[in-house]
Amino acid sequence: MTDLKAAGRTSTAGSGAHTGAADVTPPDSTVLRGGTLSWLLPRRSALAAALLVPVLVVLTALAVMASSTGMSLPETVSGLLGTGDPGTVMIVRDFRLPRIFAGLMVGAALGIAGCLTQTLAGNRLATPDLVGVNDGATAAVVAVAAGSTTAVVGNWWLGPIGAVAAAAIVVLCAGGAGSAGYRVLVTGIGVSTFIGAVGDLIMSRENDNTAGGVFLWAVGSLNGRDWGVGTPLALVLLVLVPLALAVGHRLQLLRFDDDMAASLGVDLRRLRAGALALAVALAGTAVGVGGPIAFVALAAPVLAQRLAGPTRVPITGSALTGAALIAAADALGRVAAPVELPVGVVTSVLGGPFLLWVLFRPDRATGKA
Amino acid sequence: MTDASRETAPGLEVTALHAGYPGRPVVQNVGLTVPAGQVVAIVGPNGCGKSTLLRTVARLHRPESGTVRAGGEDIWELSRRRAAHRVALLPQSPRAPEAVTVAGLVRYGRHPQQGLLRQWSREDENAVRDALAATGTTELAAERLDRLSGGQRQRCWLAMVLAQHTPVILLDEPTSALDLGHAVEVLELVREVAATGRTVVMVQHDLAAAARYADLLVAMKDGRVVARGKPEEVVDEALVKELYGVDADILGAPGDGSPVVVPRARRLTKRG
Repeated sequence: MTDLKAAGRTSTAGSGAHTGAADVTPPDSTVLRGGTLSWLLPRRSALAAALLVPVLVVLTALAVMASSTGMSLPETVSGLLGTGDPGTVMIVRDFRLPRIFAGLMVGAALGIAGCLTQTLAGNRLATPDLVGVNDGATAAVVAVAAGSTTAVVGNWWLGPIGAVAAAAIVVLCAGGAGSAGYRVLVTGIGVSTFIGAVGDLIMSRENDNTAGGVFLWAVGSLNGRDWGVGTPLALVLLVLVPLALAVGHRLQLLRFDDDMAASLGVDLRRLRAGALALAVALAGTAVGVGGPIAFVALAAPVLAQRLAGPTRVPITGSALTGAALIAAADALGRVAAPVELPVGVVTSVLGGPFLLWVLFRPDRATGKA
Repeated sequence: MTDASRETAPGLEVTALHAGYPGRPVVQNVGLTVPAGQVVAIVGPNGCGKSTLLRTVARLHRPESGTVRAGGEDIWELSRRRAAHRVALLPQSPRAPEAVTVAGLVRYGRHPQQGLLRQWSREDENAVRDALAATGTTELAAERLDRLSGGQRQRCWLAMVLAQHTPVILLDEPTSALDLGHAVEVLELVREVAATGRTVVMVQHDLAAAARYADLLVAMKDGRVVARGKPEEVVDEALVKELYGVDADILGAPGDGSPVVVPRARRLTKRG
């Protein structure tokens, strides 16, 4: 039923008039066909994904083991299997695993959100925080923490709510989601600065306790994230990731000018609005859970693009790369210093040099910086 | 590429079309019927509304009133994607994705027919191969588009539009950036495309080229159609004067009698 055919071996001439018919199948893909259905499997992206998965597994294992107190491999395994002493089992199963799981989800969400915004704006430096996601989510969390008597920072769902509200303000000010990408981004810089200032204002009137809690959240930390956070996050991703994959296919067309893309059947307003909404929802959820962790949304898609090649919109690769970055940064933060470093601090420290590398390394495909 | 149903289907019908921008009507009461398999050239001075007309027919600009039917269907009743099965547009200076190859570009022409579950059908494969063959770009398939000459590039863009398999093809000044040789090459190609039963509408600046390669010439001024018909019947001194404000001699080409416009130089008599 399904016929598998490696690209590069099609030789049936399509038109009799011309000899030496060209092979027109994408040279970097393998065609899978069954009945009226057909898929293109991009080999390079698939290989990259296949390599990223074991990397993720190893990083996750390291992250479970990593701690400032030190835990051996056998101890970790016994904790995982539940055969170790109750203390170890509790640390591994109730503290580390859910935290790492939440971190992987946060990384995947940030990676995809970054990939969507970078493609929308046609700029490798465009991240969801430019449309107010981070500041909106932070303001929502700060406002609720300040209003509560317990001064507890929590409730991951405040993140997406604040992010969506901020992004909605940005989009309205920019004149609609169908507007050109740069216009939305420029408006976003102004609006998010303002929202950030409101958040700072609220925080400056709070006592040290609340301010301390909010501060830890606002640099981006996975400390204390449990299954109660990880499970809803996973459900949100289960809905949004397939949508992002569907949108990613169309986003390729944004590489043409608007008239050409529209003439090829793309409803640009809907596509832009949909992709932006997805990016904001994904990034907002991630920020709600892990705080505004810096640089993952910027770095993951850039790395994924290098792995997948210049002609792709690397949604899957960005998700895997983002997850790997968070897992690595979180593990590093727990072993690098005597006191645990929040994951956001680690990504910021590593992200600065990375940003410079992105800015100054010429793009091999185009020769442009 | 040719099939019987397409040959008999009406190509393009534009009825009582009004289009423009708030407070600025650009296209006024334009009607146009083109049978399948014919080439129409729209001519007129800059700003006469011919580009807006083309954009409206391409479903890029919503008209205030009037209808555009392509292959028998009102394109404004169709979704963006379905409309792309009916009408293909080649804008005047399109921007290609970075580092795209010729085959890669032409494959994008199949986008309207593709989806998540139908990413690369045999039909797509044949359409791309035929489009490359028809435009003589098969040998260039693996080359990068940005490394080709202007004439080669324009043939590749045409291949992409052909691969879209639409009954109506719109070309916005397809030869404006080309030298004479490459311009003729592209116009010959346009004739071959029409011969397969498709309707081609092109905006043309060069009146002589328009007259020679079009079955039907439509002259526009200030948003209205001021003349239409066979080129040799329509093009005369009065029309050239009306459109461009230029005194010109109209000659018949020795080969086929198609009109050739030669502007009169105002100071010519002084020298003699």
